[in-house]
Amino acid sequence: MPRVDVRGEICPRPALIVRQALSDLDAGETLVVRGDYPPAEENLRRMCTTHGIDVMTAETAVETDEFELELKVTEMASLSEA
Amino acid sequence: MGRDAATVGDDETVRLTEYTELHGCSCKVGQSDLDSLLADAGLTGDSDALLFGVGEDAAARKLTDELALVSTVDFFTPIVDDPYDFGRVAACNAASDAFATGAVENVDCLVVLGLPRELTDSAAAILAGMADALDAMDGVIAGGHTIMSPWPFAGGAISATARPDALLTSQGASPDDRLYLTKPLGTQPAMGATRVTDEQFVETVTDATDRPLDRIASEAVAWMTTPNRDAALACREYATAATDITGFGLAGQSRVVADRSKVGIELTHLPVIAGTPALSTLFGYGLTDGESAETSGGLFVSVPPTATGPVESALDDAGVFYRAVGRVTDENGVTLDDPTIEEVRR
Repeated sequence: MPRVDVRGEICPRPALIVRQALSDLDAGETLVVRGDYPPAEENLRRMCTTHGIDVMTAETAVETDEFELELKVTEMASLSEA
Repeated sequence: MGRDAATVGDDETVRLTEYTELHGCSCKVGQSDLDSLLADAGLTGDSDALLFGVGEDAAARKLTDELALVSTVDFFTPIVDDPYDFGRVAACNAASDAFATGAVENVDCLVVLGLPRELTDSAAAILAGMADALDAMDGVIAGGHTIMSPWPFAGGAISATARPDALLTSQGASPDDRLYLTKPLGTQPAMGATRVTDEQFVETVTDATDRPLDRIASEAVAWMTTPNRDAALACREYATAATDITGFGLAGQSRVVADRSKVGIELTHLPVIAGTPALSTLFGYGLTDGESAETSGGLFVSVPPTATGPVESALDDAGVFYRAVGRVTDENGVTLDDPTIEEVRR
């Protein structure tokens, strides 16, 4: 499963990095994203929902603010038109 | 102190935003974290010594029957690279909390400034920006405190006065009041776009909107450096409640007003800086849901339906931008159901 690590990246780069990684995937494929800044998680979730990407699972470590998201490209995905 | 922006704010090699991880209002502690912190510290109750305090934009103390002293402090990390502009934004943003209470007279600012050693050359330009902004609010810089800090930050402790009966809080909104916003939204995506400078993504961001990114950013800076003083002066006679739009965004500030006034808020119209909705979609910022953080945003005021004519006339006369953005209901919470999005150009 492809992964991207956006820990230490400053907004809005996490959304751009994840968007680019997702655009390389086909419908049905899943990308795992690891990050460490809670507002970036919110932004990624919002960006995915808007573009037809399912946010499937999330793990968050409260102590470190780290999170992991599994993002699944659906048939409705529209990243290339963004 | 140097007051000439052309000489002190002209260092092209300095990019203030490179020195901090969290920009502008992104450095703000979240609403729920702040609530827990205040609860843990036992700072949730009203103080008998004050007209209002914790939980409001500023604190107010009644000095005499004719005079109340309003005080507030606000500072943040750079949202713009130019030190002079950063100073102007920081001063407008700090004073905005006082203006949101209707206190617009006798404005003093004590500067709060922290800079890493590499940026000490920017101090004069930041202070010049703050001084010029205060000047435009009929205020003065009355002193301050400066420290060395690994992250740069600037802002100020503001004091201002008003008649006690002229003061506004977030608690007075009533069902059927109309809601006004005095600046368009979108500063977060506008400034976020300027931070994308690497070749890998510049084209993606540039192509997201048909407006030049530097135009969008310069309009955002123009809005962020517009003091809310004229808006406060025009509105305060008619308003039932007021706050200013900052890091919690329009929806977040609406939730504060709804909770504290024990009403519901229905947002129906969002004025935004032209070009920012597309950037927000790209970055996932939630602008068209009212969730995007703002820096030095406009006043958000509730006005009884009978006063909409007079308040609109007063705002027109003062040359203040405003839009009717929704209404107060007898329900609770904030609703934003397919609002109209108006792209505003300066």
